[in-house]
Amino acid sequence: MTTVSPCQTPVISKKISATKTVPPKRVPGRPQRPLRRKAEGAILGGVCSGIAKRFGVQTKTVRRLAVVSVLFLASGLVLYMALWIGITRQGEDESIFTRARSDKREKEILFVVSIAVLTLLIALRTLGLHALGVFLWLVTLSALEALVAWRGSSSGERDHLHDLANTSFVKTSTSSDSWQGVAVRTGVGVVFAIWGISLMSRVGYEQGAATYVLVGLGAMVIGLFVLFAPWWIRTVRDLSFERRARIRAQDRADMAAHVHDSVMQTLSLIQRSANDPGEVRRLARIQERDLRIWLANPEAFGTSANPPHSLAQSALDIEREIEDNYGVGVDVVVVSDIELNESVVALLAAGREATLNAAKWSGAQNISLYIEAEPHQVSMFVRDQGCGFDQNNVPADRQGIARSIIERMNRHGGMAVIRSSPGTGTEVELRVPLR
Amino acid sequence: MNTNPLRRVFLVDDHALIRAGIRAELSGFVEIIGEADEVPAAIEMIIERVPDVVLLDVHMPDGGGLAVLEGVVKANPNIKFLALSVSDAAEDVIAIIRAGARGYVTKNIEGPELVEAIIRTAGGDAVFSRRLAGFVLDAFSSKEHPMGVIPPALEPELDQLTPREIEVLRLIARGYTYKEIAVQLDISIKTVESHVSAVLRKLQLSNRHQLSNWAAERRLL
Repeated sequence: MTTVSPCQTPVISKKISATKTVPPKRVPGRPQRPLRRKAEGAILGGVCSGIAKRFGVQTKTVRRLAVVSVLFLASGLVLYMALWIGITRQGEDESIFTRARSDKREKEILFVVSIAVLTLLIALRTLGLHALGVFLWLVTLSALEALVAWRGSSSGERDHLHDLANTSFVKTSTSSDSWQGVAVRTGVGVVFAIWGISLMSRVGYEQGAATYVLVGLGAMVIGLFVLFAPWWIRTVRDLSFERRARIRAQDRADMAAHVHDSVMQTLSLIQRSANDPGEVRRLARIQERDLRIWLANPEAFGTSANPPHSLAQSALDIEREIEDNYGVGVDVVVVSDIELNESVVALLAAGREATLNAAKWSGAQNISLYIEAEPHQVSMFVRDQGCGFDQNNVPADRQGIARSIIERMNRHGGMAVIRSSPGTGTEVELRVPLR
Repeated sequence: MNTNPLRRVFLVDDHALIRAGIRAELSGFVEIIGEADEVPAAIEMIIERVPDVVLLDVHMPDGGGLAVLEGVVKANPNIKFLALSVSDAAEDVIAIIRAGARGYVTKNIEGPELVEAIIRTAGGDAVFSRRLAGFVLDAFSSKEHPMGVIPPALEPELDQLTPREIEVLRLIARGYTYKEIAVQLDISIKTVESHVSAVLRKLQLSNRHQLSNWAAERRLL
């Protein structure tokens, strides 16, 4: 049944469509190219399941083989890590190896770590540590490979590994909650510790004493670590948790203090002046502005007593002054902020004058301020949609103010245009050149 | 387009008081077909009821308006969003516009203006408040590139506003309505609308990295 002549093809396809409802069997199945590390169902790097898929065998079989080969002098571990690095993960474009090779920093890190480890191994060797020989080399090599794999893993894979570290198995075996975990850990820890002590106790009776000291010490450290790890990990966890909680509590206290100081006070003021819509509006605006500034920069709030030094800050000052004193809304939009200089200060003073005028005379509830700093000039528009006025028929006192605006701008090489007619509102345009 | 049938509006805001206020202001001018105060419910109901316009609060728990917008657009990209916020933080506003909202207005907007903005949004036009216009002018005018790196533009025309568009934006920022802009520039309202829509498109599609940098740097104003 391996070959099908062309004329038979339609019949076969019909058969397939007729049996479509039967789900395909989940047997190990056909070999599938290309060789990819599996992303789903992976235990570590997905190497075993990837190989199983590629050659169409049971994943379990490959895994068992891998475990056996690891027991055989750790050579399987080296191979496993090499495949982890060398094979591209499912859904990714390149393998960890390719990625690490094109990254100069990664190469440097690997180089430095390798040199350090190599030096350590040679040092141990000169101390007479022959006992572990090949095994130590292979373990070291696979540890280096693991470093590359960890550093080069994609974020998806990193997540997978994090999940792995947080699985219930790892959690229970590092906590002292379940008796199995405690039993296993105590067993392993005690065995290592006793082994280490017994090795060290041989010092003085045999040759190559340094080996025993080192290996014994190492074994004891491992044993003690396994014994006390959960306690240590929990302490670290608790400490960081406590710190976070303390920071949160501090934040909450600050927030509560601020809410009490400003919001509550304002609310009680609003209740007291409920009959005066203008006053309520004014209070609400003050509070809104206050909160806005506080939200933007809680640390600096209330500390800035020095005069403003930027265009935007000065504009906010105008907003505050006019809103607080005249009970109208001033809506400021500033495009690109700059430092103050003499002509900009003059522009702002004229703009403040114009805003004041609008607040006093236009009857509008809202005044729009628009300030834009360009490389060669700063312009400012003060606009209200109030009653407006006929420029040929201006009362003497208002003409004076208008003139003070215009003259001030002229003195600084700028200009002022006032556009207004009864019923359509007023717009004052101010410009000053920047040197 | 803007004749008899009332626009079907969906309201998303986690503050019951604000929802009640908006409903009161809009009643009679648009049809409120539903409201939601949390992200998952909002996404589900909007997809189910297919409103003309969603009035969307930018700041909400669980990812805020952005999460709602992204959740709905995935299922139905034709639903139009108008962002409504008390916040003036540039990064929030720019983020929600770039995610697909057709406009942004602040919550202190007057009732009739809000109705107009909703009708305009439903008609597929862009709605720029003064502040948004200011943000856009600021973002597109800042010339300096940090560290002197000029990123390669895939579509250079997206990274720049035309002089006319800048003019229109400036007038919006100065507080002019579309009608007043049309009079001022001696063009039709339709032309004003198309300029604003073009700016919205650039704002959404421009890959100018400054746009995000710029927004991130600005906490206020």
